[in-house]
Amino acid sequence: MNLTLILLGALVAVLLLLLAWTLHSPKESDAKATFSQVLEGAGRAHVEFLPQIRQALAEEDDQFLSRAGANPLRRRLKKERRHVALSYLRALRQDFDGLLRMAKVIATLSPELGVGQELERLRLTVTFLWKYRMVQVALYAGYASLPGMAALSNSISGLGVRLEAAMKDMGERAALAAEMISPSDRSRIHFS
Amino acid sequence: MERLAVLVRWTWGISVAAQVVLFAVLLLRGNFRKIPVFTTYIALNICQAVFVYAVYYRMGLRTLNSVILTWSSQALVQILRAAATAELLRLILKSYRGIWGFGWRVLTGAFGLVLVVALIASGRNFPWAVVIADRGIHLAFGIAVVACLLLVHHYSIPIHPVYKALLGGFCFYSCTVVLVNTLAGVLFVHGNPNYQMIWQSATLISFVLVLFVWTVALRKPLVEPERVLQAGPQELETSYWEMSPQINERLRQLNDQLGRFWKPEVTRH
Repeated sequence: MNLTLILLGALVAVLLLLLAWTLHSPKESDAKATFSQVLEGAGRAHVEFLPQIRQALAEEDDQFLSRAGANPLRRRLKKERRHVALSYLRALRQDFDGLLRMAKVIATLSPELGVGQELERLRLTVTFLWKYRMVQVALYAGYASLPGMAALSNSISGLGVRLEAAMKDMGERAALAAEMISPSDRSRIHFS
Repeated sequence: MERLAVLVRWTWGISVAAQVVLFAVLLLRGNFRKIPVFTTYIALNICQAVFVYAVYYRMGLRTLNSVILTWSSQALVQILRAAATAELLRLILKSYRGIWGFGWRVLTGAFGLVLVVALIASGRNFPWAVVIADRGIHLAFGIAVVACLLLVHHYSIPIHPVYKALLGGFCFYSCTVVLVNTLAGVLFVHGNPNYQMIWQSATLISFVLVLFVWTVALRKPLVEPERVLQAGPQELETSYWEMSPQINERLRQLNDQLGRFWKPEVTRH
C-alpha cells in the first residue's frame, strides 16, 4: 500500500507539473505567429551558408597542416572546426524546428487531421531529437563529418522549399476567403 | 445517528455555500448560456449535497443502503464532470476542427485505457473496490485532461485564462482525490481511527479551493474563444493530406541521415 502511495504520489506530481507547464504560456509568441512570420523564417535557411561550412570543414586543410608539421595551428584549427560544426548543427536544429512549426500550422488550419500522420510525426520528432543529441555529443567529443552534415542540410532545405510553397498557397486561399467574409465577422478573425 | 466529524461538517457546509455562490455567479453573469453543461454540473453537485445529507439523516452513515445511494449519486456527478470538461475543450478547440477531432480521440482513448486498468485493479481488492474505482476514474480523468492540454500546447493554441482556471481546477481536484484516497487507504490499514475524517475533509478542502478559483475566474462574463480563420476547409484539408505524408517521409529520411551521420558512404540525398 505504501508503494502504491509512492507510485501514485509520483504520478500525481508529474501530472501537476505537466498541468502547470501546459497552462503556463511560454509559447505565446508562437501562438501569435502569422503566416508571413512563418514564411519569413522559412526563407532564412542555413543552406545559404553551406559553401562556407564546406570550406571550413574541408579535410585538405587538416592534411596539409599535418604534412607541414604545424601541430599547434592544426590543434587550433580542429578546435575552431568543432566550434563551427556545433554552431552549424544548432542552425540545422533551428531549421528543423521552423519546418515543424510550419507543419503544425498546416495541421492547425486543416479541418481534419490524420491521427496516424500526427503520431508518426511525433515519433519522428522524438527520434530526430535523440539522434541530434547523439551527434552533438559526438561532436563535443572531437569528431566532425562534413558528408553527414551536408546530407542533413540538403534534407532540411528540400522540405523547406515544399512547405514554403504549400504555405504560400494556403495563405492566398485564406486571404481570398477573408475578402468574402462580412466586415463585422472579419474584425473578429485573425491568423494564429 | 452517527455524526460526521466537526471539521467535515464545516468544510461540507462551506463547500455547499461555495457551490451556491458559484451557481449564482454563473446565472447572474449569463455564463450559464455559454457553458450549460458546466452549470448543470455545479447544480447537480448542490442537489447531490442535499440528497446525501437526507440519506445520512434517514439511513445513517454506514448502512449498506446509504453507501449504495451516495456512491450512485457520485457516479452521476462523475459523468457530468467528464461532460463539462469535454464542453470546455470543445469551446477552446471549436475553431480548430482538425485538432478537436484529434483531441476527443486522445481524451477518450486515455480515459478509457486508464479506467479499464484501474477497474481491473479495483476488482482484486473488493473491500476497497468502490474507493479504488473512484480513484481510478479520477486518475483516468486527470491523465486525459493533461493529455489534451499537451496536445493543445503542442499545436500552440492559445487558451483564455478563464478556461485555464476551469480545466486546471478539474485536473487539480482529480489529482488531489487520487492522493487522498490512497492516503486514506494507508491510514486505514495502519489502524488510524481518524482516516475517514482526514479523507473527507481533505477532499472537501481541495474542492472548496477549486470552487473559489472558479468563482473568481467566472466573476466576469465569459469571453468567446478566439476565432481562427478556416478558409476553404476543403482546400485546406486537401493541402493537409497532400503535405502531411510528404513531411513525414522527409522527416523519416532526415532521421535516417542522422542515424548514418558517421557513415560517409551514405551521403546521397
